[in-house]
Amino acid sequence: MRRRGLAILGACLLAASALVPSGTRAQGALAQSGLVGEFEGVTILTDPAKWPKRFKEAPQLAELVKAGKLPPVEQRLPEDLMVVRPVREIGRYGGIWRRGFTGPGDDENGNRLNASDRPILVDHTGTVPRPSLAKGWKTSEDGKTFTLYLRKGLKWSDGHPMTAEDFVFWFEDVYNNKDLNPTPIPDMTPQGKPGRIVKVDDFTVNFEFDVPFYLFEELMAGDTLIGGGQAVRQSNKRSHSAYAPAHYLKPFLPKYAGGVEAANAAAKAEGFDNWVARFHFKKDWTLNPELPVLGPWRTTRPINNPTWVMERNPYYWAVDTDGNQLPYLDGVVMTLAENLELLNLRAIAGEYDVQERHVDIGKLPVILENQAKGNYKVHLDLAFNGADAIFQFNQSYTADPEIARWLKNADFRRALSLAIDRDQLNETFWLGTAVPGSPAPAESLPYFPGPGWREKWSTYDPKQANALLDKIGLAKKDARGFRVRTDNGERLRLQVIAVQAFLPWPKIAEMVADQWAKVGIQADVRDTERNLAFTRTRNNEHHVMVWNNGGTELLYLFPRHAIPVDPTEAFMGPEYAKWYASNGAQGTKPDDPDLLRIFELFRSAAGQKAAERIETAKEIWRILIDQQYGIGTVGQSAALMGVRLVKNNLGNVPARNCIAQHCRTPGGAHPETWFYKN
Amino acid sequence: MSGPPLAAAEVAASGGEERVAVASQLQLTWWRFKKHRVALASGIVVIFFYLVAILADFLAVTDPHATDARRSYVPPQAIHWFDEDGSFRPHVYALKGKRDPRTFRLAYAPDPSEKRYLVLFARGYSYSFLGLFGTDRHLLGVHDGRPEESLFLLGTDQLGRDVWSRLMWGTRTSLFIGLVGVGLSLFLGVLLGGLSGLYGGVVDTLIQRLIEILRSVPTIPLWMGLAAALPASWSVTRVYFAITVIISLIGWTELARVVRGRFLSLREEDFVIAAELAGASRMRIIFRHMVPSFLSHIIAAISLALPAMIISETTLSFLGLGLRPPAISWGVLLQDAQNIQSLGIAPWLLLPAIPVIGVILAFNFLGDGLRDAADPYG
Amino acid sequence: MAAYLARRLLLALVTIWAISVVTFVIIQLPPGDFVDAYIANLSASGSMVSAQEAEALRVLYGLDQPIWVQYLKWAARVVRGDFGMSMEWGRPVTEVLGDRLWLTVLVSLLAILVTWGLALPIGIYSAVRQYSLADYVFTFVGFVGIAVPSFLVALVVMYFGFTLFGANIGGLFSKEFELAPWSWAKVRDLLGHLPIPVLILALAGTAQLIRVMRANLLDELGKPYVVTARARGLPEHRVILKYPVRAALNPFASTIGYLFPFVVSGSIVISLVMSLPTVGPLLLRALVAQDMFLAGTIILLLGVLTVLGTLISDLVLMWIDPRVRAGIQG
Repeated sequence: MRRRGLAILGACLLAASALVPSGTRAQGALAQSGLVGEFEGVTILTDPAKWPKRFKEAPQLAELVKAGKLPPVEQRLPEDLMVVRPVREIGRYGGIWRRGFTGPGDDENGNRLNASDRPILVDHTGTVPRPSLAKGWKTSEDGKTFTLYLRKGLKWSDGHPMTAEDFVFWFEDVYNNKDLNPTPIPDMTPQGKPGRIVKVDDFTVNFEFDVPFYLFEELMAGDTLIGGGQAVRQSNKRSHSAYAPAHYLKPFLPKYAGGVEAANAAAKAEGFDNWVARFHFKKDWTLNPELPVLGPWRTTRPINNPTWVMERNPYYWAVDTDGNQLPYLDGVVMTLAENLELLNLRAIAGEYDVQERHVDIGKLPVILENQAKGNYKVHLDLAFNGADAIFQFNQSYTADPEIARWLKNADFRRALSLAIDRDQLNETFWLGTAVPGSPAPAESLPYFPGPGWREKWSTYDPKQANALLDKIGLAKKDARGFRVRTDNGERLRLQVIAVQAFLPWPKIAEMVADQWAKVGIQADVRDTERNLAFTRTRNNEHHVMVWNNGGTELLYLFPRHAIPVDPTEAFMGPEYAKWYASNGAQGTKPDDPDLLRIFELFRSAAGQKAAERIETAKEIWRILIDQQYGIGTVGQSAALMGVRLVKNNLGNVPARNCIAQHCRTPGGAHPETWFYKN
Repeated sequence: MSGPPLAAAEVAASGGEERVAVASQLQLTWWRFKKHRVALASGIVVIFFYLVAILADFLAVTDPHATDARRSYVPPQAIHWFDEDGSFRPHVYALKGKRDPRTFRLAYAPDPSEKRYLVLFARGYSYSFLGLFGTDRHLLGVHDGRPEESLFLLGTDQLGRDVWSRLMWGTRTSLFIGLVGVGLSLFLGVLLGGLSGLYGGVVDTLIQRLIEILRSVPTIPLWMGLAAALPASWSVTRVYFAITVIISLIGWTELARVVRGRFLSLREEDFVIAAELAGASRMRIIFRHMVPSFLSHIIAAISLALPAMIISETTLSFLGLGLRPPAISWGVLLQDAQNIQSLGIAPWLLLPAIPVIGVILAFNFLGDGLRDAADPYG
Repeated sequence: MAAYLARRLLLALVTIWAISVVTFVIIQLPPGDFVDAYIANLSASGSMVSAQEAEALRVLYGLDQPIWVQYLKWAARVVRGDFGMSMEWGRPVTEVLGDRLWLTVLVSLLAILVTWGLALPIGIYSAVRQYSLADYVFTFVGFVGIAVPSFLVALVVMYFGFTLFGANIGGLFSKEFELAPWSWAKVRDLLGHLPIPVLILALAGTAQLIRVMRANLLDELGKPYVVTARARGLPEHRVILKYPVRAALNPFASTIGYLFPFVVSGSIVISLVMSLPTVGPLLLRALVAQDMFLAGTIILLLGVLTVLGTLISDLVLMWIDPRVRAGIQG
């Protein structure tokens, strides 16, 4: 009987192992699916000798030129052209791009399509910065000056020339206006010393600092406060990015409207509470169709309607190698889906032309099933960040000293990390397509800390986990086998806050809680409403918070999910983030020497040159992974904007998108070069 | 036409005319209720459901929280009752799971050579039976091997958790969590509605205005606010329970308004005036004389209130405001099924809808029967 | 009579004021404010905002002031008819609401008409022919209507509509007409999309109404005056319709008050699942985003409608039931 039982058990395990892929087999499985393409992208021609001499434009624009309503295309394009060789072929004009969006809070959906309006945009691999709005740049030897070379003859969408004035205007009148921006931003303030924007000539701008700030060049190329571009940084009540349309926005500022009283009166006359509210509206490309913009499409029907409509920008400053002014597509129409299920349903029905946003990887089998019916092809694009679900342990927690003690104990965290069966999570939620391991960025990036750091503390080893927990003083268990607190002998309960956002984190946390129960740790998963979760974490009330660490693949550009440096989102230690951001004026100083070291390294990186910076980042990652402040599960997956449905009649859509914060998916794939083949 | 008064046969069965004449209202009600076959059956169904709720742990096969990716989205297993040689040995086949790399679908192939024989009163996870003693016996299990690995009567969900076991636990939560709330609402509704209708005047005005204010308090924001304001250390179930109590302190208004309307009509009836003249106290008049005359309406109201509580729990869970995982209730289970992949790949996740519908139907038929039986003019 | 009416109206105003206070408190109950919701939304959408911008917004919206100050400011504006700007939609609240209001009213009114139009005759028939086959059938169908959660029906209908018919059932307009200006074609399109949401909306209400109507009428039909009327030789339909039905409708007078807010809010859940552009989902979004002015205005509107509804309910009750009239005047 027992032998038969063992044989059955063995058969079960064999059968089970056929289902759970090991590391190499996962890659094999993904390759077998045929859904992951090769990186491919546009080429930018910077040699004027190779540029086209004759230009063509879209038929509707040609009509307007004939009617005298628009200057001819040669006069609309800048002297310093942006010449793009599309991925596969020269395209044709015409067609509307249909997409789905979820409401006025989904401005990112459109911001990203206009990602080229930033000075520097990375290429399709996410590693090489390329000229976009700016034609070139330079960092001085001493790192104290960063120069941006603008395109001569570049015009706003209303025909007005874009010059260095727009940068100076932003710096002096928007950034320095205390009502819009109360305190200096870290992007412009290395080592606490504020920088300046200075006009050198009409088409050259200097960013000047008092200390070496070699990092600034990288910040300019990323999705940061300073480098983000007008579309994303000035929509939805934000006021950054390095430039703004001076000629249009000046009248709305008190300085040019005759004082605060006059500005407020004018605002009230238009139905706004005060001039600030009106200014937020006027500079927002998603709300204000009259705002001059620089991206390929401009809004004609604002985002706060059931349909968000954009049409081509007649002054867009890029052409293809044949001289056709981009974009090919006439416009974009986004329809409001009141909930995500409906959006996915519409995507499956083929109602969207290219949709990667809000598509749920859990629905992949159904999406694949309907490819023929919906007339689309599915692409899986893999991300660069190491953790789609990271359990951040609150290092600045104080409410319950016993819990705080364990949250701050590195071996406790390591044990919990070793108790997670990542293969199980991968199989259940990522359908086996993700890479299990530590939160480190992808191996292909220069920031990857080195061999062995994917696996460190991040394998499935419940035996070692139990040993560690026993060792640190949690050996005592209660009747049901759960470890007890050392202060009162009651069961140790860890609260895990999980939000149902773009990944099913509550379910993921439930599975992890079940695995932690096997090593005797009780985790209470709190499926929390999003706003409440953010409020609680901001108030330092949480033990553990689950989120992802997207953006940390380029640590300096978007560090908040790896290190607690930004008080708006510092799951790892809100009080410490306040301390760091205010230079010690607020918050609490960490007592953990490793955390202090991380802060030190991070601060010093701003003044280091690229090669040295990368080494610093690697060292920061090593400390992070060794200390396991944030326990990673799986990453480098297609879960976030990685399941892409592309209609079969679209051309020039790359086989693989770069999924990273700074790639501005899908902006980095240059949608202005996509076209309809028939 | 309401049902005929006790027919001759019943009168004979109940022991003759004298018995009918002196039988208490309760007995009359019971005899009339027995007549209504469907209602009787529904009553039994309701009792059956509550039995299931009480015995949830015993009926469950696996630990409802136990997850395993290797049994994710397993379809309901077929039970084979007879062996090849014809002997009655119910069994299920072990499953081999494989994910198709092109379609990403999980396919489970039953292996006829690997049989798992079903066993009654098998060992499973340990629990406390009715809070009295600990045990690990469950109604069903498999011989050799753990039930987590091979008995999925209703299939599994995305995390590999057994739907049948979760359904048992869900039944327990859903059936019990609304009872206190309904009871409170009922009591407050009859009391305050009665006072309002009986006294009229200032009392009426005050209570009516209070009702208006409470009625226009929108439940959803209140729910959201309370859920956020209650301590984070409370379990999900405790939070939900606290909220139902608070909401029921507001929810009595509907019944109160109806009761008031009835009271306003009944106030002028002869028997009420007679009772007042006889010196009966207000409380006695309300509860002993007036209430029975619209008892049927109250019963109809309760028989709708209980299932309404259940539906409101499922709806609130759908909105993400009610019970949430890791709590298990019908609403939480149905929420798992509210997406395209469940409808397309795992439709068995919708099965919890059946007991929801069943219980509500049963409650309604039961209420129907009770109303008919208690009708004093029948 | 006039005095009674005047008193009621005055009380109504006081009640509405009390509702406004309660509304405001409830909206502020969840910890955090609009800026927190704003930050959370940006994080969840793959973007971010700086701490500086967030602080500036707090000052802009006056969220850094104590609650009672915020309430007074809001109340002062509302009294002047200025309902403020929706923070999420960036448009005046009246605009955002107005867009959806008339569609909501249309869908709700149709649902109510269907509900009452179906439920009353069926309820009467059921009571009159109690225990007949038809009674059982109707009762059963009615109960199924209550028992099945409506959002489940909605989701299943939508999914099968898609898989079986390739039809996009969600929403109230086809994509061609969504952007187009109003025309007969667009009206026809709307009418084509209405039946399913209206039916699903009406389903649960119908069942409940049948139930209660049947119960009430059965109560009445058992009363001696009905026997008398029959004995007197009145034709059957007069016996039933003239008095018992009127009396049976008495309790419904108390529930007319419900219909007023319902007409405006509709069913949140069904609207969410089917993506109907009605007020219910708008309110839910506003609450989640802590968009104070929008949520506050909608809830206030619902409160006012409730008060109005109650007033009208009481007047109707007085009108149809002489016993109540006597009670009030006496």
